[in-house]
Amino acid sequence: MDRSKKTGLIFFPAFDWAITPTHPEREERLLYTRDQIFEEGIMDLPQIREYKPSLAGIHDIARLHFCVPTVEKQTTEAHLIAAGAAILLSDKIINGEIKNGFALVRPPGHHAMRVVRGNRGFCNINNEAVMVDHLRSRYGLKRIAIVDTDVHHGDGTQDVFWHDPDVLFISFHQDGRTIFPGTGYTYELGGPRAYARTINIPLQPGAADQDFLYLMDHLILPIIKDFKPDFIVNSAGQDNHYTDPLGSMQITARGYAQLTEKLRPDLAVLEGGYAIETALPYVNMAIILALAGLDYSSVEEPGYRPGDIKAVPGMAGEIERLVDELLQRWEMRDRVSPDTSKISGHYYTRNKRIFYDTDHIDERQTEKLRLCNNCPGYLVIDSDAKHGYGRSGRALCISVPHEACSKCRAEAAELYGDSKKDLGYDYIYLQDKHDDVFYSYNMGSHHEWHSEG
Amino acid sequence: MFVGIDVGGTYTDAVLLENGRVLATAKVPTEVNLINVLTKALDTIVKDENKDRIKRIVFSTTIITNLIAERRYEDVDVLIIPGPGLSHGFYKTMPYAHIVSGAIDYRGREVIPLKEQEIETVLQEIARRGTNKVGVVGKFSPRNTIHEKKVSEIVKNKYPQWQIELGAKIGSQLNFPRRIVTTYLTCATREPYQSFIESIRQTLDSREIHAEIFILKADGGTTPLQRSGEFPVETIFSGPAASTLGVQALIGPDETAVVVDIGGTTTDLALILSGQPLLSSKGARVMGQLTQVRTLAVKSVAIGGDSVLDLREREINIHNQRKGPAYCLEGPVPTPTDALRALGLIELGDKKKAIKAMELLGRDLNITAEQTAEQVINKVVDSITGEIKKMFLEWEQEPAYRVWEILHRHTLKPTMVAGVGGGAAGFSPLIAKNLGCRSAMLHHASVANAIGAALAKPTLQVNLRADTEQGYYIIQEEGHQEKISDRKFNEKRALELAKNSLLKRALQYGLKPAAEEIEIINREVFNMVRGWDTTGRLYDITVQTPRGISARVGAGE
Ligand SMILES: [Zn+2]
Ligand SMILES: [Zn+2]
Ligand SMILES: [Zn+2]
Repeated sequence: MDRSKKTGLIFFPAFDWAITPTHPEREERLLYTRDQIFEEGIMDLPQIREYKPSLAGIHDIARLHFCVPTVEKQTTEAHLIAAGAAILLSDKIINGEIKNGFALVRPPGHHAMRVVRGNRGFCNINNEAVMVDHLRSRYGLKRIAIVDTDVHHGDGTQDVFWHDPDVLFISFHQDGRTIFPGTGYTYELGGPRAYARTINIPLQPGAADQDFLYLMDHLILPIIKDFKPDFIVNSAGQDNHYTDPLGSMQITARGYAQLTEKLRPDLAVLEGGYAIETALPYVNMAIILALAGLDYSSVEEPGYRPGDIKAVPGMAGEIERLVDELLQRWEMRDRVSPDTSKISGHYYTRNKRIFYDTDHIDERQTEKLRLCNNCPGYLVIDSDAKHGYGRSGRALCISVPHEACSKCRAEAAELYGDSKKDLGYDYIYLQDKHDDVFYSYNMGSHHEWHSEG
Repeated sequence: MFVGIDVGGTYTDAVLLENGRVLATAKVPTEVNLINVLTKALDTIVKDENKDRIKRIVFSTTIITNLIAERRYEDVDVLIIPGPGLSHGFYKTMPYAHIVSGAIDYRGREVIPLKEQEIETVLQEIARRGTNKVGVVGKFSPRNTIHEKKVSEIVKNKYPQWQIELGAKIGSQLNFPRRIVTTYLTCATREPYQSFIESIRQTLDSREIHAEIFILKADGGTTPLQRSGEFPVETIFSGPAASTLGVQALIGPDETAVVVDIGGTTTDLALILSGQPLLSSKGARVMGQLTQVRTLAVKSVAIGGDSVLDLREREINIHNQRKGPAYCLEGPVPTPTDALRALGLIELGDKKKAIKAMELLGRDLNITAEQTAEQVINKVVDSITGEIKKMFLEWEQEPAYRVWEILHRHTLKPTMVAGVGGGAAGFSPLIAKNLGCRSAMLHHASVANAIGAALAKPTLQVNLRADTEQGYYIIQEEGHQEKISDRKFNEKRALELAKNSLLKRALQYGLKPAAEEIEIINREVFNMVRGWDTTGRLYDITVQTPRGISARVGAGE
């Protein structure tokens, strides 16, 4: 990383966009952050370069998500701008214009899964995942690490990269027994071809700066060092802050800055964080300064006194135990054989039930991975959903990975063609990331749509 | 009749206008005795016209800008109250700043109180050094002026003779470092500015002229002379604004024009987008530092008609300096002006000498004088065109914070290049060709600045912020908080308050805008939701009197 280069910043508070007027994800969310960073003159610093966001294209979304029925139906312009901001900064980093970047944007995205039928956990489109797939398609980047520092489990990002051996996903979060979305246990480790490329670190309420820093030093950084990523993404949620109304953790603004400084992400993307007055102005500022290599030691929440945050008894021991357990899993990553009960023929199957809390949609998926000896294999997802009393359309989603072999690609294309005759489905989709093309077929209208990158 | 007088560093230009016609112009060298200069310029244009028919005189000047650049002002100290946030080491780049304890947050709540003892110690130190001009600037002071006011009281008690300036009134936008710089400059320029005003008064008194007198501001608006002392920094960068407004007066109302003002060693570029001069998204930059002074977006490029040219490694170089006039005007070295003259693109100076200059320059390249001149001109035109394209791109790329702003920002292409200033004549058609638009050498281009000054209109702004949860509103220009007692306070009421304040201020400035003419340039309303309930609203409203020019000058091109 070239120290002389600037940190790129896209600040997009979407002051005219909200889920609903009193929803936490509303116009006001980044207002006080705006006040703070403007008043401090952050945008004028020689170490900072501010960019105007641009919209992500429909294909950028379709390359990653299966939006049912269409991308247009699942996105608003605000979503395209948030994802577009992450993409734009990633381009500037790859072409060397900036040393790193922070997409300080809303709406957030880390609860959005591969199949999108509505809003879950305030997210429709997974900004980081869309950006990562852009980097792989555009620049052929291979290994990417995503570290999720939001208090909620990044279940959407986990779902997207579950079977991907080239994307390391690490999430620390409050234990799913006490917070949305209720997942993210240590035993969730990734698919049969990507074992331990998903690492979950569930924490008891009350974890504080020293606990997170210990995790960073003893678990996250050593794993990243082994993995040797070409690009590091930080899903920079700020709801681990000690004043957050949804989370029960105790990170300070300076703690977030220290984590950022240690992780040295290429690109940070804002996720959650709903203490819009007491945390966000300070955490955002601290993260910006840390990315820019500037002194953040004077950033302080009003009324903060170091003694206020008390260590939770037993926390340190619990965290050491977690680190040991997960490091062992990581060491075993290439020697674990998949659960044979889930394999039948050439396919590995998992069943999922996904609840969209905001939109009250109940989705059931059967996800099959084609086991191939020459590549990571393609994925077939059979998805059906209930929306209130009605159904919202059964969809067959076929996803061919970037590294797919020619046999898998041909097989997937054939499956797409055959499925168009299957009256059991309302929509058929094919993503071929290798060729960067996307097809969708509407059984009702017999209309086929296709796009390419 | 209107009079415009632009006092530049080298020349003072003056013009007399009536009904969109230029009646007389004058150009006199600027000298140290300003009264002499102003008198000369005024006498030339007014001659034996009936002075009582002069309705308005507008002045613009760069002399105080130059005074700042040359640091010809007395020492200034600024007490700053940064509190937590950016490291205090950051303020070391401002050697005049003294840090004192205290903090206000973005909602205007006191976070850390002041320490009086500490303030007194700093003041003693300042007094020991003999400074008597101080500024007081707090972070977030526009949201609550209590700390600045308290410090000011202490100063007034202990050192009643000191000149003191408060940041919130000078820089009410959110940007603490820019507020500090702006306050510093206000302290530094208040006295020299007064003497500038005094020169104007004496000149006009001696000629028994009793017209309304205005000073042009950097944003292209004017302010009455008697009020201009309040915010002298607003008026001290008005030179480039004058020529831009001049061009605006000389071209069609919907034109998207590039104003190219080529001087001796610099070229000033400004944009008129669909008839309106473009304001800078940042404040004016003074000596490399950003301020909160609203200004037209003007870019200075270090190339001019007199720039020194030489050859290095078989490459023609344009230097950022002047060694005298062009070679064809008896100067010492080849310049871009010689290139224009050599090719017959201008009629200035001796053609033979110009060709000689090009021969000297191109000697080691084994090319003809014409070829050398072409290379020089291409180089100049390419760099200026490149900067113009960058300005359009920067305008398109200005950050936006709302979805509709991202979706509705269109792109614009220039329809004309308007050359002003001595050096523009030969270059602007070539720049226009490069940009694919037409070129206009305006009829009165050499005094476009004075025309711009004469036609500028007074502008006033009022910024209101209301916080209904905390139950107060503040009009930044008035500087004090008012309680909101009405439970039904709403956006309509907030707008009304802002507009009334503007109308009241306008009256003090001798203006009488109609209420329906008032422009709302910023209107932010945010619901404050705590839990799932709306607990209050934040309003940020900016209103202004209409911008623009009072008349166009006919038959421009
Ligand atoms: Zn997380
Ligand atoms: Zn979250
Ligand atoms: Zn394969």
